Amino acid sequence: MPSTTYTLPIGPLHVALEEPMYFDIQVEGETVRSVELSAGHVHRGMEALAMQRNYFQNVTLVERVCSLCSNSHPATYCMAVENLSGLIVPERARYLRVIADEVKRIASHLFNVGIMAHLTGFDSLFMHAMEVREIMQDAKEGVYGNRMNLGQCIIGGCRRDIDDSTAPFLLGQLELLKPQLHELYGVFERDPLIRTRTQGIGLLSHAEARRHAVVGPVARASGVAYDLRRKAPYAVYPDLDFEVQTDTKGDVHSRALLRLREAVESVKIVEQCLRQMPGGPINTREVPVIPPGEAVARSEAPRGEVFYYVRSDGTDTPQRLKWRVPTYMNWEALQVMLANCQVADIALIVNSIDPCISCTER
Amino acid sequence: MTNVLTGILTNSLQAVFAMLIFPGGLFVLALGLFLKGVDRKVLARLQRRVGPPLYQPVLDILKLATKETLIPDTANEGAFQLAPVLGLTGMLVTAALLPIGGVWNGVTGLGDLLILLYLLPIPAMGLMLAGGSSSSPYGALGFSREMCMMFAYEMPLIASFLAVAVRVGGAGGSGGSLLSLPAIMDYQYLHGPLLFDPVMLPAALALLLFIPGTMGSGLFDIPEAEPEVIEGPLLEYSGPLLAAFHLMSAVKLVVVLELAVALFFPNPLVATGDGGVMVNLLWHICKCLVLLMVSVTCFRAATGRLRLDQGFSFFVKYTSPLALASLGLAFLLR
Repeated sequence: MPSTTYTLPIGPLHVALEEPMYFDIQVEGETVRSVELSAGHVHRGMEALAMQRNYFQNVTLVERVCSLCSNSHPATYCMAVENLSGLIVPERARYLRVIADEVKRIASHLFNVGIMAHLTGFDSLFMHAMEVREIMQDAKEGVYGNRMNLGQCIIGGCRRDIDDSTAPFLLGQLELLKPQLHELYGVFERDPLIRTRTQGIGLLSHAEARRHAVVGPVARASGVAYDLRRKAPYAVYPDLDFEVQTDTKGDVHSRALLRLREAVESVKIVEQCLRQMPGGPINTREVPVIPPGEAVARSEAPRGEVFYYVRSDGTDTPQRLKWRVPTYMNWEALQVMLANCQVADIALIVNSIDPCISCTER
Repeated sequence: MTNVLTGILTNSLQAVFAMLIFPGGLFVLALGLFLKGVDRKVLARLQRRVGPPLYQPVLDILKLATKETLIPDTANEGAFQLAPVLGLTGMLVTAALLPIGGVWNGVTGLGDLLILLYLLPIPAMGLMLAGGSSSSPYGALGFSREMCMMFAYEMPLIASFLAVAVRVGGAGGSGGSLLSLPAIMDYQYLHGPLLFDPVMLPAALALLLFIPGTMGSGLFDIPEAEPEVIEGPLLEYSGPLLAAFHLMSAVKLVVVLELAVALFFPNPLVATGDGGVMVNLLWHICKCLVLLMVSVTCFRAATGRLRLDQGFSFFVKYTSPLALASLGLAFLLR
C-alpha cells in the first residue's frame, strides 16, 4: 500500500535541538504537513522544590532554572518578594540589576544567532558569533566572577557592586564589542546564504502573533511592539533612553536581525547605566518580614516576558511559587510557523523562537 | 601464443598491483585519510579553532574498526551490510584506474572516461542503498536527497567530460572525440594543460563545483546534513561498517581530485627517471592539496548549506550551463 505521508520524529534527543523536546512531524516528501508538540521530558519539579526552601534559598534555586536567562529569573523573583514585603530597593541596586540583565541579554541573543548560523551549516559564522559573544563572557567573568550564573540578585538589592576597578573593564569590553556587533549585523543582514536560507520561512503574521499572544523578539518581529521595559517599566528603565526594536516581516531572518539590534540597544543601556548610576548602598542590608499575601512581578527576559507569582502564609517558605516563561507562550505558535515548511527548515524555525526548554519544564 | 599469455599475465599482475598497492589500494587509502586530516585541520584554523591532529581520521577509523556493529531489527540486513562494501570497493577500483601524470599511465585499456562515468556514482549508490535499507525515516530522507543531488551534479560532470573529449579529439584532426584518459593526458603534455585553454575554462569551473557537490561539502552538504537529517543514510551505521563509509569518502575525495587533475592539469614537473617519479608524485599530491583547499576546505569555510531545491537548481542554473558552454565551444571550434 503506497503511503504519501510518514512520521518524522524530531526529538526528544536530536542534534538540532539543544534541549529535549518532541515534535511528531508528518512529512510528505520534504514538506511538513502537520506538527504535534509534546513536552515534559526534563521536568525537574522546581516549583515543588521552591515550596520546601525559604525565600533566600529560592534565589539560588531560581537562578538555576535556565542558564541563558539566569539573571532574569532571580531578578523577577526578588521583585515579586519585594512587592510582597513592601521592601524598597536602593536606586543603585536597581541600576546594577539592569546592567546584569542587559549583559545577559547580549550574550543570550548572540548565542541564538550563532546557533542559527550553525543550523544553516555555516559553521565559520557560528564560530565567529561565539567569539564575539566571548567578549561578553569575559565581561561577566571579570565583573561577577562567573561566566553564566552571575549570582547578582538578592532580596533587597544586589550582592556585588560595580566599582572603580570593574566599571572601566566593563566599558572597555563594550567598546570592544560594538564594532564587532556592527560587523556581525552586516554579515547576517547581507550574506547571500543566510538570506537564501532564512528569509520567508517560519512566517508569523501580525494577526497570528496576537492570536497566540507570543512575547519577546518573536512578537516584536511580527510587528507587535510589546516590550515590558516600556509597557510596564520596572527597575530604572523609565530613566533610560533606548528604542524598542520591531519589524514587520515576521520570518526567521527578521527575528535574528531583531535580536542583534536589541543587543546593540542593550550595549547603549549598559553604558547609560554606568554613566548615570548614583552612589549609595547596593542593598537594604536587612532581613525583610514577609507577611501573608500574594504578589506578582514580571520582567523582559531575553526571550520575552517572564512572570512570577508568589503566595505567602507568613512562614519563611513560600506557600506557592509559580512562574510563566516566554517559551511557554511562543512554542504553540510553532504550529503556525512550521505549517507547510520544508524538512530542512524545521530546525531553523524552532531555533528562531529561541526555545528554552529548561525554563519551560522547570 | 606464449607472448599473448605473458602479455595477459603481465597485464593482470599490473592490474592487481594497481588495485592493491599503487595507485589504488594502500596508497589511495593513505592519501585519502591524509587529505581528510589536512581538510579538517585547515578548516579548524580558518575558524580559529585548534583542530584535531592530522592523523585524526586514522584514529577514527581504528576506533570504529574495533567497535561492535549494530544492525537495526527492521533493517534489510543483507543490503545494510552490502552498501558500505559496495561503495568502498567501487571507489578502490576507480582509484586504480586513474593515471597520474609522469608517474603511472594507468592499466592498459581501462582508463576510459565512459568507464569512469559508470564507476563514479557508486558511492552515491552505496549511500542510497544504506539509507533505503536502514528503515529509518532519516535514512529515507537521505536516500531521496542523495538521489536528487546525484541527478543534479551528474549533468555538469558528463558535459565537462564530453567537452574535454571533443576538444582533444578535435585537435587531433580527426574531428571526432577522444575518451581515453591517457590520450587526453598525452594531448596536454604536447599542447599545455587544458586549465589554461580559454575554451575549457568554464568546464574546469563546472568540475570545481562538481567536487563539493559530490563530496557533500559547503553549499551541498545536503544528503548528510547533520542538523536536518542527522547524517541521513549514515544514521544507523556503527563500527566497521561506518568505518568503511568513512574510508569510502576518503577514497572518493582522492578519486575526484585526481580525476580533475588528470583532465585539466596532469603535466609532470620533471622527466621520469633518476627519481623523477617521486618528484612527480609529490607534485601530483601538491596539486591535489591545492584543489582540495579551493574546492572543499575554503568553500566549506565560506558557505553554509542550501536547501535541497536550492542546491538542485544551483547545478541546473549555474554549473551545467558552464560545462555545456565549453562543450558547445569545443564542438564549434573542432
